[in-house]
Amino acid sequence: MFEEYIVNGVYDEMFGVTGTPRSHYASVASRLTELGPDALARRRRMADIAFRNQGITFTVYSDQVGVEKIFPFDIVPRIIPADEWSHIEKGLMQRITALNHFCHDIYHQQRILKEGIIEPELIYGAKMFRREMLGVDVPKNIYIHICGTDLIRDSDGRYLVLEDNGRTPSGVSYVMENRAVMRRIFPQLFGSYRVRGIEDYPYNLLQTLRHCAPAHADDPTIAILTPGVYNSAYFEHSFLARQMGVALVEGRDLVVDNSFVYMRTTSGLRRVDVVYRRVDDDFLDPLCFKPDSVLGVAGLMNAYRTGNVTLANAAGTGVADDKAIYPFVPDMIKFYLSEEPILPNVPTYICARDSDRSYVLDNLDKLVVKSTNESGGYGMLMGHQSSTKERAAFADKIKSDPRNFIAQPIVQLSQHPSMIDNCFEGRRIDLRPYILFGEKPIVMPGGLTRVALRKGSLVVNSSQGGGSKDTWVLEEDEVEASGL
Amino acid sequence: MSVMPDKSLRVPVVLELPVGASARPVLARDADATYWMSRYVERAEHVARLLMVNGDASLDVADLGSDILESHWKSVLKIMAVDGPAASEMPLPESIIQYMAFDYENPNSLIRCLTRARENARGIREVISTEMWEQLNMLYWSIRGDEAAAIFRESPEQLYQQIITGSMLFQGLTDQTLVHGQRWFFAQLGKYFERIIFTTRILKNKFEMLRDGEYANDAPLANIQWLAALRTCGSEESYRRTYLGDLDAINIAQFLILEQRFPRSIRYCVRQAHRSIAAIRAAVRSHTVDPTERILGRLDAQLEYASPADLMNSDLPKYLTGIFDNIAAAAIAVQRSFFLH
Repeated sequence: MFEEYIVNGVYDEMFGVTGTPRSHYASVASRLTELGPDALARRRRMADIAFRNQGITFTVYSDQVGVEKIFPFDIVPRIIPADEWSHIEKGLMQRITALNHFCHDIYHQQRILKEGIIEPELIYGAKMFRREMLGVDVPKNIYIHICGTDLIRDSDGRYLVLEDNGRTPSGVSYVMENRAVMRRIFPQLFGSYRVRGIEDYPYNLLQTLRHCAPAHADDPTIAILTPGVYNSAYFEHSFLARQMGVALVEGRDLVVDNSFVYMRTTSGLRRVDVVYRRVDDDFLDPLCFKPDSVLGVAGLMNAYRTGNVTLANAAGTGVADDKAIYPFVPDMIKFYLSEEPILPNVPTYICARDSDRSYVLDNLDKLVVKSTNESGGYGMLMGHQSSTKERAAFADKIKSDPRNFIAQPIVQLSQHPSMIDNCFEGRRIDLRPYILFGEKPIVMPGGLTRVALRKGSLVVNSSQGGGSKDTWVLEEDEVEASGL
Repeated sequence: MSVMPDKSLRVPVVLELPVGASARPVLARDADATYWMSRYVERAEHVARLLMVNGDASLDVADLGSDILESHWKSVLKIMAVDGPAASEMPLPESIIQYMAFDYENPNSLIRCLTRARENARGIREVISTEMWEQLNMLYWSIRGDEAAAIFRESPEQLYQQIITGSMLFQGLTDQTLVHGQRWFFAQLGKYFERIIFTTRILKNKFEMLRDGEYANDAPLANIQWLAALRTCGSEESYRRTYLGDLDAINIAQFLILEQRFPRSIRYCVRQAHRSIAAIRAAVRSHTVDPTERILGRLDAQLEYASPADLMNSDLPKYLTGIFDNIAAAAIAVQRSFFLH
């Protein structure tokens, strides 16, 4: 089944340069070959049916009824050895710690601006910078409680950070469902590896949310705020509420009275202490942000600033995952922690800087240009795949609003075998691990491996035809761990 | 406080307080969605059974002429209180079947009921059990999936049966996987309201049909209709065991309305609805009487002490209308007390 497999000059996760499987992939490769195309196709159907029956779907509205689709799931697991993972884990902990320092600093003393590490224009020009948060103290000084950081591997196999998602990162429910399905369809293969469990994520999330409850709440009431059933991530909101046993509320279920937040129950109003909000800042509170938002709760920000309710993540964290601030994260690590960054960034040109901008405009065909405030693979230009006309249009956009753009060299993401029709082909992947920051940072072992299922594509977002696969982080070797 | 020994159907005066973790509040929107999820599943089951029984009975009336056959099918629309299909080339029976099974414009079609049930369940996915959700999802796909139309062409009965069994399974899972707390009681309330409403409509329809229509004074035809009424209420076998096969209109009415041991009779359903609302009220505000509870309590008592003479022919429709109006008022009172504030 791997006879036709091509390793085309990029880093291949499964096969080394000699064309033989890397040691940690050996048994997956042989097992998949052994099973053969029919058995694999059968297992893939089993997985699809499991996803459909559990309602793990998203809806595409083309008519009144809507078509429900499952997220494409690739049955070939990605495997990360223990030593690679411990490097990643340390890097991610360091990063979330620095980002939390940064948020606190930006909304208080602004030392990093005063000492000239970051140009103030970049901060004040960030769309997600919230003046409303200046001088506001949040519990335990934690801003980013939940972070999803996107990692990629370059052609040497080095892990690089592509971006941090410090607002409302999604996808963790797919990680858990992918795992549940893999255990069901490949019990033997799964059992033959010592894969680290991820099942305690909801518990850790709950502890994280409890940790940052307002001081008045001994036994805090926690709720997840969702935009509602039509939101594309609704499955995840409901999944997390179910796993943690907390209420899942919509804006209309909440009401603010005397700067406390309450939910409407069958027995009247009940106070809510911690809101894990999956609604963007802009829609949180019509009195503070977008006045026409119906997803939020009027008065929520006031209750928040008074300290009567905790929001996770805090309002205003968008300033830390702005793509034009991202290049400074290594500097933040040095500045706040006096440490050397463990995970490097992808080199980035900030179009707001004159020298960077002229370089970007001269080299558009070799760069990826991204809008600083968009995500999901929207608003970007893949230089090498674009036409002259597209490049010219993008150049105009950059010139008219330089603050809104950054550019990066095209990184050849690593590839991994995917099951395409009935054989294996290499497809580009990335990795989004999830980091919690409560009493201490906790990194979920693994994360969401997203796959660009379109041949040759470098864009892994689900809105752009991406799928996902299960990610196995291996336990440390027992012999090594016991020091023998 | 002393509690009377349980006389099986007596409404408990004092509801036991939960031991262990204190019950957590239930979001008003969740209660609303649970209630409607349950109603729509129950409704789908009734529609499926109605179509199945009617399809079967139409084989018996078909040779009596197209008028009788048409009125036989039109009664389905009347029972479900829907307008009926847009004019089409199709023969009336087929167009009514299509309309009741697959038409999205019809608020009581199978596909609409199951879609609404699932939409409600999706909104409360985190508070119902995984088993319930997956069962409801499968039920939904049994009519939405690609294979549904093919199954239906080949044998409509197979699809109806799938839905009936699917609904029963869902109700069993609800009973066995959900904590019997407020949410479960809201699900019970929805289910029993729906069942009472349906049974009163069936009975009223059959009674009026036999009194006014072509069927008057035609014993074999009347038998077909009464048998259909029993089967549509899922009660044929139980009735026959109780009355040894005698299809007497008054006996049937008595069985479907007053039989206290049968879970599809109106009296049984009212009793359960009354218990459910009493439990909800006790959990929410223990020292008041809720308007819904008052309506259901009165109705419960009325049925408890009803005399079979109340059901004599001339009074039956009035009697059924009385029950129906009470349930309609109770349904509105539930919304007011628990869902909208």
